[in-house]
Parts: sequence; C-alpha cells; structure tokens
Amino acid sequence: MAKFYSSDAPEYQVGKEQFEFVQMQGDIADETFKDKPIGFFKDAMLRFCRSKISIVAFVGIVLVITLSLVVPFISRWDYNDQDLNRINLPPKMPVLENAGILDGTRWLTNRRVDGLGDTNRYPEGSILRVINHRMVQGVEMCDIKVDYYKYSGVEEGTYFWMGTDYLGRDLWVRMWRGARVSLAIAFISVICNVCIGIVYGSIAGYYGGKVDMLMMRITEIIGSFPEIVVVTLFILFFGTGMLSICLCLVVQNWIGTARMIRSQFYRYKGSEYVLAARTLGVKDMALIFRHILPNSIGPIITRAMIAVPSAIFTESFLAYIGLGIRAPESSIGVLLSQGQKVMQQYPNQVFFPAVVISLLMIAFNMLSNGLRDAFDPTQRGA
Amino acid sequence: MAKYIAQRIVAMLLTLFIIITIGFMVIRLMPGGIFDEAVDMTFEQKAALEAKYNLDKPIPIQYALFLKGLVLEGDWGTSLKMHINVPVWDIIKTKIPVTLYINFFALLISLPLGIAFGIVAAIRKNTMTDYLISFMVVIFISVPSFIFATLLQYFVAFRAGWFPIIFDATSVGFEKFRGLALPILALSLGPIARVTRYLRAELAETINSDFMLLAKTKGLTERQATINHGIRNSMLPLMNIIVPMFTGIMGGSLVIETIFSIPGMGGIMVKSINAPDYTVTLAALIFYSLISLITVLIVDLSYGIIDPRVRMGGKK
Repeated sequence: MAKFYSSDAPEYQVGKEQFEFVQMQGDIADETFKDKPIGFFKDAMLRFCRSKISIVAFVGIVLVITLSLVVPFISRWDYNDQDLNRINLPPKMPVLENAGILDGTRWLTNRRVDGLGDTNRYPEGSILRVINHRMVQGVEMCDIKVDYYKYSGVEEGTYFWMGTDYLGRDLWVRMWRGARVSLAIAFISVICNVCIGIVYGSIAGYYGGKVDMLMMRITEIIGSFPEIVVVTLFILFFGTGMLSICLCLVVQNWIGTARMIRSQFYRYKGSEYVLAARTLGVKDMALIFRHILPNSIGPIITRAMIAVPSAIFTESFLAYIGLGIRAPESSIGVLLSQGQKVMQQYPNQVFFPAVVISLLMIAFNMLSNGLRDAFDPTQRGA
Repeated sequence: MAKYIAQRIVAMLLTLFIIITIGFMVIRLMPGGIFDEAVDMTFEQKAALEAKYNLDKPIPIQYALFLKGLVLEGDWGTSLKMHINVPVWDIIKTKIPVTLYINFFALLISLPLGIAFGIVAAIRKNTMTDYLISFMVVIFISVPSFIFATLLQYFVAFRAGWFPIIFDATSVGFEKFRGLALPILALSLGPIARVTRYLRAELAETINSDFMLLAKTKGLTERQATINHGIRNSMLPLMNIIVPMFTGIMGGSLVIETIFSIPGMGGIMVKSINAPDYTVTLAALIFYSLISLITVLIVDLSYGIIDPRVRMGGKK
C-alpha cells in the first residue's frame, strides 16, 4: 500500500536537537540567536545608561523630588512657623559646622567696643572674634564675629540648615516645600500640554487637508501672541492660584507638541503597514492611537522633559513680577524674589534657592539630552 | 515683494488689534471698581471721577473711546494709581528707550558672540575646546537669566565693587553704560549659549556636505570654504530661533529691570500690576506686543536677504 506523506507520522517527527548547522564549504558563519530580542524601550534604556551624565542628572532629579516629598513631613517646623526671636539666622549644619562653614556665625561690623561686655546684647560666649579696632570720632569701634544662634538667643542644639527668613521661618523646609510646589506646577502643566498636543496634533496630522489647514491656522494665531502678554493677561483674569499658573503655562506651550505630533503623523500615515491595517478594516481611532501614535513616543517623552525646566522658569518668573504663588505658600520663585531683596545683608537666603533651581534646570536639560540621544541616536549632539 | 510686506504688516496690525481688544476687555471686566479702595471719598466724588475717566459708560463704548483716543490723538489714557492724573504716555515715554537699549544691546552682542563660539566649536568638534564650550552652553542655557543677574549683582557689583549695584537713572555716557553692563551681560548669556549650540549643530552638518568637499577640491582653503560656503548655509536655520530668543530676552528683562532698579518698561509693568493701575498695564502690554510683533516681521522679511533661494510671497 502506497504510503502517503503525513507530518504526523512518527518517522517524520524530527526533534530540534537532531538538526545541526552545515555550510557547503568552510566554517559555519551563522549561529543560533541566544539572546532575547531587544525591544524599542530596552534599546533606548541601554543607550541611556551608557551616558553617565544622564544617569547623574536622573539621580539628581530623583533626589530633589524625594527631598521635596519627605522633608516637609519629617521636619521639626512647618513651612509657615513664624518666630520673631529667630529672624534672619545664618545657615548651620551639624557636621559642617566643625569644618568652619555653615557654622551659624556672622560678622557684625561697626560695633562699639565698650558695649561688647553687655550680656543683654551679646549673651555669654556669643562673641567669637574681635578685629579691626579703630577710633571713629572719639569712640572705639570694632568688627566682631558672633555665633548668631547664641546672639539671637536660640536654644542650644537648634539647627536651621539653610537659615531662616525675615519672619523666622525655616528656609530648609520652605526650600523643599517650594521645590514641591514648583515641580508640581511643572509636571501638571507639562502633562496637560502633552495631552492636548497629542489629541490636536493627531487629528490635524491624520485627517490632513482642510481640517489640517484650519487647525494649523488656529495654532498660528494663538502662537503669534507674545508669550509675556498672554501669561500676564491670563493671570490677571483668572487670579494667582496654582491652577491658573498651571493653565497659563499650557495656553501656548501645547502648540509645539501639536506641531511635532502632526509632522510625525505625516511621516507615518502613508506607510504600508498603515495601509494594511486600514485594508483590514481598522477604525480611525485605533489607527491613530494604536498604530501611528506609538511611533512618536520617544519625541513626546523628550519634549515633555524639555518643557519641565521652562515651566519651572516661568513659575519663578511670575513670582518675581508679583503674579505667581503668593506668600505664605512657598515656591522656588517666591524664595528667590524674597531672598533677592535682602541679598546684600543675608546672601544665604537667595543663594540656596538659586543653587537648587540652577541644578534642577541643568539636570532636566541633561536628562532630556540623554533621552533624545537614547530614543533617536541620529540626533546626537544637535 | 512690496505686496508681501504689505500683507505681513496688515496681519501684524490685526494681531495687535486683537491683543489690544482682549487686553482691554480682560482688564475692564475684572471684578471691583478702580476707586473701591478709596474709602475716604463720597459716593458723588467717586461718580464724578468715574464720569471723568469714562468708567461709567458701557464697556464697548469705553473701548471705542479708548481706541479713538489712541489712534487719533495718541492718547493712552491717564494713570489712575501710580502717578495720579499723569497721562500714561508721559510715564512710559522716558522708560521705552532704556528698555529698548538693554534688550537690543543684549540681542546685538549675543548674536556675534554666539556665532563665533558656535563656529569654533563646530570646527574643533570633539576636541577639548568643543567640550569646554558645550559645557558652558549647557550651564548658560539651563540657568535662568535672573539667577545670573542676582549672582553678578552680588559678586561683581557688591563684593568686588567693579560695577554699580543698582542703575543710576541720572547718569549719562560711559557711566550709564557701566550701570547697564551687568543687566545686559545677564540677559545675553542665555542667548549666546542658544546661538552657539544651534550653530554648532548646523555647521557640523554643513561641513560634511558635498558642496564643501567640492569647494575644497577646487582649491579653497579650509578657512575660505568654511567662511564663504559653510557659514552662510548654516545661517538660515538660525533665523528660526531669533524670535523665541528675543521673547526670552524680553521676559528676562522684565525681572532684571526690577533687580537692578532700572527705570524701564519692565519695572513699570511690574509696578502697575501690583498697584494695580490698569491703564499703565495695558500700555505696557501693548508696548511688549508691538516690539515682539515687529521682531517677527523683521525676521520674516530678512529670510530673503540671507538666503536668496527663499522666494517672498510663497510662490511655488
């Protein structure tokens, strides 16, 4: 009886281990794939991790976020605890005080020498050094270095790591609470503008034609208004709450995201896989969000990261011109503008917020550079 | 070309008109009358004042009167809080030159400096010079201009005493420039870095293009090829960032004028917002809109001069 081929027949069952690689001549060039396939995100992750600067930036941002979340809870003082007995204290930190920096001392100039013994003004042990004895109009004057904590009568063992402000509020707590407020504003506004940008840009890019022309004309009109004017009018109209600051950061910024998404759609909507999906009867919404949009995930994340520092900048800018977050609530901008007023007497009050905002902005820029290189290596260094 | 310019100017005036309209409406529709806080005035006095400043009329009529005054007589209204009864134009006319001075000066010094650093970085790509410039670029782009202003004011002006801490409005000549040097420096650091980064990327790409190879094959030196062929081709994309850059400078100058006590439009705007004195705020807003719209216009028109391939008027 004729035997027909059937793959189920036992003599045709060949196990995988029985195969072996052969080559007509010479060595075998091909090998089996032993690795797992590397996906888009893993690929980006590998490239991102190779850049040390990005990692440092990322760690720095995580550190700031952690501090801003944790410090206001575990601190001894609230961000709005006022005490007029401890105003404008210099910074003092437990370990660094022994090294001679941040030790809570301050130079007081032009003091009368005969008043130095007065323990009501200068409590026991508060004067550390006396220099520069001189006679001014028959009175002996000098400059003294005092332990400002003892001088102000603050109890022993109290540390204000960044000092206190003109109402005796702890700047360490205010700093991190301010960072929290600024970051919250930045993240909320960036999320809003990415969401609006995605929806708007996808619709304009996908449908094209008249819809696209009309929608892009609208963005041109909104974009042609000067940013300062739009932001100012917006805040004047809606008041200076956190929400209105978030919204005023969205008014114009979503346009950039929308334009970027639109150009991505123009790039991909004509490709074969989209045509194939459409032929299979995939609906417009699924085509937009499942098939085309994921291509732009890299640029979207990069763009969102670039938008964060500019949102932080605008927030502190608004605080400076008196349209931002209002005291007693704290934000980086509020601290900067308050510290700037007393910069000549108490430079620490503006120095710390300035350092934090600068490092934060640099870190975000580094991170977005790293992300851009990771998602799209062709753009490297641009 | 003339038709294109005319079109652009009409579009600009239209935008300005929309901004003035929205600004006027926003400011007048805010709750509370302007004289509500003046408790020592009788009702009749308030009514008389409101009648004098046309505040008792419906808002569209107020707006029509405002526009009529602005367009026909150059009348910007009267200040109501900051300098009572002084015409707004008299307040702002001395402030405008100072603001324009520092803004345009910052733009003018940042362009050549940025271009120079960009060229150096691109030619010496991946060398120590390039890394140093790129490092500075990242810092100057990231740190806001008012932080630089504060630091410069503290270290250079207050500690070292090389420059005046605040600007003396009565000074003239060199003293005036010395007073404005730090604000201008603080304003231009960011833009310099932006131009540098952009030009470096553009030029690094242009240097590797075929026409540069051709130029060098024809016997041009590296310098000639870069200057005559490379830079000019990298300039055009640079025009795109001038507008956002100038907007950034103006925003920064708003704060920096306050920091250095410069009597300019920024200070006036901040004070008028906090006073609140809305006729002055509106004038300041119109000023800032006009300046940035004119900048956009100039940049658009100069595309054709820098790159003759760009045809004006969108002919295809």
